[in-house]
Amino acid sequence: MVSHEDVIQIARLAKLSVSEEELDGLTKEMQSIIDFADAINNAPVDGEEFDNINNLSNAFREDTVVPSYPTEKILENASDSAEDCFLVKKRSL
Amino acid sequence: MKYELVSGLETHVELSTNTKIFCSCTTAFGGEPNTHCCPVCIGLPGTLPKLNREVVKYAIRAGLATNCEISRISKMDRKNYCYPDLPKAYQISQYDMPLCKNGYIELSNGRKIRINRIHIEEDAGKLIHQRGDTYVDYNRGGVPLIEIVTEPDIRSIDEAKEYVEKLQLIMRYIGVSDCKMQEGSMRCDVNISVRPKGSSEFGTRTEIKNMNSITFMTKAMEYEFERQVDLIESGGEVVQETLRYDDVTNTTSSMRGKEDANDYRYFRDPDLVTISVTDSEVEELEKTIPELPGEKFERYVEELGIPENDAALLVKYRKVAEFFEKASQGTANPRTAANFIIGQIFRTIENESAKEEFNISVSAEDLRELILMLDSKKIRMNLAKATLDKMLGTGKKVSELISEKDMGGLDEAAARKLCQEAVEKNPNAVADYKNGKEKAIKAMVGYVMKNSRGKADAVAAENIIKELIK
Repeated sequence: MVSHEDVIQIARLAKLSVSEEELDGLTKEMQSIIDFADAINNAPVDGEEFDNINNLSNAFREDTVVPSYPTEKILENASDSAEDCFLVKKRSL
Repeated sequence: MKYELVSGLETHVELSTNTKIFCSCTTAFGGEPNTHCCPVCIGLPGTLPKLNREVVKYAIRAGLATNCEISRISKMDRKNYCYPDLPKAYQISQYDMPLCKNGYIELSNGRKIRINRIHIEEDAGKLIHQRGDTYVDYNRGGVPLIEIVTEPDIRSIDEAKEYVEKLQLIMRYIGVSDCKMQEGSMRCDVNISVRPKGSSEFGTRTEIKNMNSITFMTKAMEYEFERQVDLIESGGEVVQETLRYDDVTNTTSSMRGKEDANDYRYFRDPDLVTISVTDSEVEELEKTIPELPGEKFERYVEELGIPENDAALLVKYRKVAEFFEKASQGTANPRTAANFIIGQIFRTIENESAKEEFNISVSAEDLRELILMLDSKKIRMNLAKATLDKMLGTGKKVSELISEKDMGGLDEAAARKLCQEAVEKNPNAVADYKNGKEKAIKAMVGYVMKNSRGKADAVAAENIIKELIK
């Protein structure tokens, strides 16, 4: 069973803040997601045939360099940048 | 009580492919910040990673060279953690189906350090911490890595050092990485625990992250071993934690404890399809594995009769070994080439990385020519040595430095004449020799050598002089 502590732990790993009021609802939702996954887990599958159901393998790329993007483009969506770098302010770490 | 060190290493090696693991940006070292980047390697939503074929080949070759089994089926997984060096908040790595497993590297004491696995993954970006803020450069983000994980088989710091050196050399020989620890293309995480000698149980381990030089690694291990032993001796307990090593103070300090312990929530990366490798592909790659340093060492010692210490020096640098093999080809005794390289050429090279590069002004063919002249007794050893010094200094060829009249040594009559002269001009040496000072004869031989410009045969001259003063 999913507990409040599980939710708090997962939120912490994901760097999300969760308020006290949200806990009950989130715990219930998470439980139903896990039940869903358990239902799949309980399906009688064994052997390798399900390892690769779309039967795709080896979608490779050749090792040839293509020019990279201009730095301005790379930094265009950064919430903050300086000296051609993405900038992470101390408190947001 | 006596304590024993128990250690296992996780070594990250950057592969020297042209492009990154999942996009076509260059892997070149350095560059202005964020100039080797694209939407894939900065983790923008909606981008699709595509695996570099060469990464798979390089990793399989690394596996073959370290006695691993190659998985016919493997896959990529997401390792989730949130840190600014990882723009997607997950690293694409391999979890339960690595490309290579169950290998080993054998040490000189005969012990095998087992390799649990080698998997492929992407490198993270570089963080520059300044004034409390963090500047992020993703040039390195997405550069292909292999992570080579050993079992906890290492029992001493010397073994750890030898393992890393051997691994580094093997990777360089097969050309998958330059393994420059100072540039970060090879880095080690060291797991350490201690236990009473003779015990078969493992103690609690700590992990020292990101060692980027062998010297620091051995120092950090010494420090951490002592720290754990002191802790246990004084009644304390080792806490499982991740440590960082400070090379200025030579101490380790905690980065994070067990409560933050790795909860990476691995799952298969749905963007990347299964990697399947056929038997014939493995066979083809096997053919590309050159003679490895361990095998070379044995051949040099057993077949070529090179002393072990010298053989170790020759195989330590791939280019030196290649040079040696070319220079000694067809010569009477391979030791001659070995002696020239180790005795004379190495003296002109300043440091390890220069030996690695081995950019010298003498070609292997030129040295071979010189040795062949020696073999056929056209020149004597001291002239050969002097010539090699000149070749190293000026970059001139043998033929430019040795003329016909230097060759052919001295004929018997000329040698006798010079020896007679040597005896006449060194009465003191003659007296000393007659009084039992055997070494005194060297002075007279020296005279002969000097006045024949090195053409005389020192052994023959010594015999003639002995005869003359009998």
